[in-house]
Amino acid sequence: MNTIIIDGLSYALPLLIIGIGGIFSERSGVTNLALEGLLGFGAFTGGLFVTLVNRFLGLDDMLTFYLSFVAAALGGAAFSLLHALLCIKFRANQVISGVVINIAAMALTGFLAMLVNQAIAGSASNKFLLTTAPRYSVPALKDIPILGGFFTNIYPFELIIIALAAIFWFILYRSRFGLHVMACGDNPQAVDAAGINVARVRMVAVSISGLLSGVGGMCFAYSISANVSPAIYVGAGYLAIAAMIFGNWKIVPTLAACLIFGFARSAAYQLVLYLKIGSMVTDLAMTIPYILVLVLLIFFSKRNRAPRALGQIYDKGQR
Amino acid sequence: MPDTADNIIELRNITKRFPGIVANDDVSLSVRKGEIFALLGENGAGKSTLMSMLFGMYEPDAGEIWLRGQQVRIASPAEAVALDIGMVHQHFKLVSNYTVTENIILGVEPTRRLGPVRYVDRKGGAERVRQLCERYDLELDPEALIEDLGVSSQQRVEILKMLYREAEILIFDEPTAMLTPQETHSLLETIRRLRDDGKTIILITHKLEEIKQVAERCAVLNRGRLIDVFEVASTSTALMAEKMVGHQIDFAIAKDAPQFGEVVLDVQGLCVRGANKVEMVRNVSFCVHAGEVFAVAGVAGNGQIELADAIAGMLPASGGEIRFKGQDATRANVRQRSVDGMAYIPEDRHGVGLVLDFQLSENLGAKRYFRPPFARGPLLQRDEFRRYANELIERFDIRVSAGPGTPTRSMSGGNQQKAIIAREIDLGGRLVVFVQPTRGLDIGATLAIRNRIIAERDAGKAVLLVSIELDEVLACADTIGVLYNGQMTKIAPAASLSRNEVGEYMMGVKR
Repeated sequence: MNTIIIDGLSYALPLLIIGIGGIFSERSGVTNLALEGLLGFGAFTGGLFVTLVNRFLGLDDMLTFYLSFVAAALGGAAFSLLHALLCIKFRANQVISGVVINIAAMALTGFLAMLVNQAIAGSASNKFLLTTAPRYSVPALKDIPILGGFFTNIYPFELIIIALAAIFWFILYRSRFGLHVMACGDNPQAVDAAGINVARVRMVAVSISGLLSGVGGMCFAYSISANVSPAIYVGAGYLAIAAMIFGNWKIVPTLAACLIFGFARSAAYQLVLYLKIGSMVTDLAMTIPYILVLVLLIFFSKRNRAPRALGQIYDKGQR
Repeated sequence: MPDTADNIIELRNITKRFPGIVANDDVSLSVRKGEIFALLGENGAGKSTLMSMLFGMYEPDAGEIWLRGQQVRIASPAEAVALDIGMVHQHFKLVSNYTVTENIILGVEPTRRLGPVRYVDRKGGAERVRQLCERYDLELDPEALIEDLGVSSQQRVEILKMLYREAEILIFDEPTAMLTPQETHSLLETIRRLRDDGKTIILITHKLEEIKQVAERCAVLNRGRLIDVFEVASTSTALMAEKMVGHQIDFAIAKDAPQFGEVVLDVQGLCVRGANKVEMVRNVSFCVHAGEVFAVAGVAGNGQIELADAIAGMLPASGGEIRFKGQDATRANVRQRSVDGMAYIPEDRHGVGLVLDFQLSENLGAKRYFRPPFARGPLLQRDEFRRYANELIERFDIRVSAGPGTPTRSMSGGNQQKAIIAREIDLGGRLVVFVQPTRGLDIGATLAIRNRIIAERDAGKAVLLVSIELDEVLACADTIGVLYNGQMTKIAPAASLSRNEVGEYMMGVKR
């Protein structure tokens, strides 16, 4: 039981922060299928940072660990500007732009990692090795039956995510900028008439999606494999999109959706271990979260409502 | 009163061209501070363009704008707002999933500090909105969601947006086009109150009664040119109308006594459920003869739309019978009814009547495309569409810039309606159903369509006219049926009913 909670949480929270990124982009009216590519590129930047630091600077391991998240966030944000530029400035089709960015990220990061590794270590590997992430338990609380799992073996980044989620919740729902973001996703004409620059609001919103996806990608890199490689592209970005849609493009319901996915995944894994079945069946069992997505889709799609201007290119002249 | 006589706005020799058209041609106007100034003209006369320049949406090609005695250049709506100009557009610019307050404060949000953090002060905003509502006697809940509000409430939100930004010059672009008579009345009341509070108001409209009711002065535009500016009090509506259209117009429609033929449409005990599953039409019976205009009168929302949709086959009947040319058509689908000779001019021109992103020729062929010569097997015959469209453009006087290939979206409302009517009437059926055929159209187009209704009747067709405009019903009907609360409370020859009587049945006073 403890393991289900521990693993579930460490999967659900990165999913959440990526989902929040998606919410910013889509509530501003820009369809964002690029989350997968953004999290991958973010993780790549973080991994590159760790590799370079370890090779040339040799900082303290913990400091490197924390700074790698900053690097990942910046990398994700930078890469997301490509999506923003294509969709907002060049009025490209937002779905195509997102898909292209995913494909480009996959190809680009693998290739660049090999180049860097060849130059530094002389071996053409497409992996950046990371240090193992530390884990902490809260002394008294971890002994509570069942709920103790929430306080056992926590990655530090889980706390970072919770803090970021709270901050971005505040930005979206309480700040002026957040009010502008959600207005852009419903009626950009109204925003324009209010003297606000729609393109700028959307640019910032999309780069926030890159920023947060980068952080989420780095979390996955530490928790799943302790390295950054093209194996990071296993669909977490798409799952985050699904969570955002089930969450009706709102942050708190999206958190609930992420927790369901996370726990379904870790529960399926424990079930496989418990039944001691072969690895072929394991793979099948690991599809449970995705099957859950399909089932939830049936129930939720009717009630949910996408932002009204989602995916529309804003044309000032059109009335 | 020297200070009120000061001109707050002066437009000097304004010219604005768009590709292929001169929207404003050397227009010079001045508006005094604190007056209600009307801008009158038909659709496409250049009223909205002129005011859009004052609001910074376009810049004039030539000419000067002077505000409060100083020449200004207004490059964007934001700059116009900074100069205390506000505009209520014909199509509201509101965020549908936001509250009234959030919409009003958007862009000028009041904030509060919580330590180092600033957040939007929704409560304070709502409080100010509430004060403004009280001051101008506007009924509105600051916490209500826009999507839950009706048209007139949304319009009040737009007005409050201007007041919240402390605009002094308020421009209203066709503000009553979508309002019921009662709502119009209270809007005009509000406009008066704003004037009394010292605001300067420009009212763009083509409705003469409104100008008569509130405006002090009125400018008439026709085809981009300023025709005249006059004092409203000393000018008759007939003269204003004449100046607007550019020639004398005859409001009365000449029509001969009707020659009734056989029964074409026979509705018995019809019941229809609306979109919300509520029974909107209850046990309605009537019949329409060849050569008869049967007009369904009633206040909007009393089941007219559902009745018309059921007759056209767009909504299923939940009870009763529809007999068309002696045959039971209750369960026939839309295509069958159309092929059998039922023409339908729907209320919702853009949603139901036309595919706006199609070319005109495709819309004109929309009820014939599946049959030769428009289709040969599975293939559409483009040439035939074009030939047919040219023919209808000629016969029905549809004015378009690029012939059959004109994008339907780019056409004016009046010409879009002409296109629908051409398509439907040319099917040559026995029954024509008109639903709100002149809604939103200017006087010229309205008269043309009413004459068309009479012409169809004289050609021996049965005409069912559904309209919430009493003038239209009285002008066209041979027989009037009044729909109140889903029931036909009165059916009588038009000649036997006075205007007041029809009104009383419509309001449910008499039944």
